Amino acid sequence: MKLRHVKTTILLGSVVALAVASSATGQSTTKLWTSDVVADRQRLMKLNGASWADAQAKLKAGNAEAVAVNAEAMALIATQILPLFPEGSLTDKSKAKPEIWQKWPEFESSVKNYAMQAEKLRDAARTKDLAATEAVAKEFGRQACGTCHTPFRVPPPQQQAPQR
Amino acid sequence: MELRHVRMGMILGSLVALAGVGCASGQKTPMLGSGDPVADRQRLMKNNGANWADIQNKVKAGNIEGVAVNAEALALHAQRITLVFPEGSLTDKSKAKPEIWQKWPEFQAAAKNLENRAGTLRDQAVAKDAAAVQTTVTTFGRDACGTCHTPFRVPPQQPAQPRS
Repeated sequence: MKLRHVKTTILLGSVVALAVASSATGQSTTKLWTSDVVADRQRLMKLNGASWADAQAKLKAGNAEAVAVNAEAMALIATQILPLFPEGSLTDKSKAKPEIWQKWPEFESSVKNYAMQAEKLRDAARTKDLAATEAVAKEFGRQACGTCHTPFRVPPPQQQAPQR
Repeated sequence: MELRHVRMGMILGSLVALAGVGCASGQKTPMLGSGDPVADRQRLMKNNGANWADIQNKVKAGNIEGVAVNAEALALHAQRITLVFPEGSLTDKSKAKPEIWQKWPEFQAAAKNLENRAGTLRDQAVAKDAAAVQTTVTTFGRDACGTCHTPFRVPPQQPAQPRS
């Protein structure tokens, strides 16, 4: 019963948020898939993580060319990151650091950097050159993910949850 | 007490998210950033096509679980489709049919259909249900791609414009 109450409130809150959001933007919501930006961006970043894992698995199997689809997906996803971090969207479910909004231009440039690194990986993969693709991939965690995660994300409590 | 906390958090979260949406919506374009919606959507749809090809390769290789990342990419990309078809964005480089804007609700529904079917495929892949994945893949071209491409895209058949 208490739980139901909570659920109803959440639902109502979402509906209201959605309605107001729609009228504010003038048309269909462009930034939000649900009414919950934190859930949206976590879903987006999970796909980034899964794409990176898939790229690594393909490299391990010696299939450089197949990495291109994942790298391009990451580059496309990168263009959605900024709108999913509206100011004040820091909840207790979020791993975002307040530094994001304190240093917004740096956050912006690290997202831009991520897109460029993903494109670099994609272009290397398209040449089908395994060694060249591996060379980009080797630096990717630090150069692409890390430049944003280190300053702007609270580290996961345990050492690196196993990725699937 | 915990519950009340949750509820309060939800309400606050919604309000904050809302405020954020309000501010953010005025600025950034909903496109992928190039300023050219035709180039943006062709890039998006190319990655959709590449993900679909990767899905087929993985199924052929018996890598059922590996399909999930591509299916999720399709689902997330699908949510952006209507945004990269602003009214009046029909150029001679575009394969879009004017029917898109004449029957916008149907176009929206077709994009939503892709999102839903891709979500189904993703869930089946996550569940490692090989039979279900295979069944969905068998009909995906017709039931997901085709429901939009048939009514709303000029068929690519003739070698009219060489693609680079």
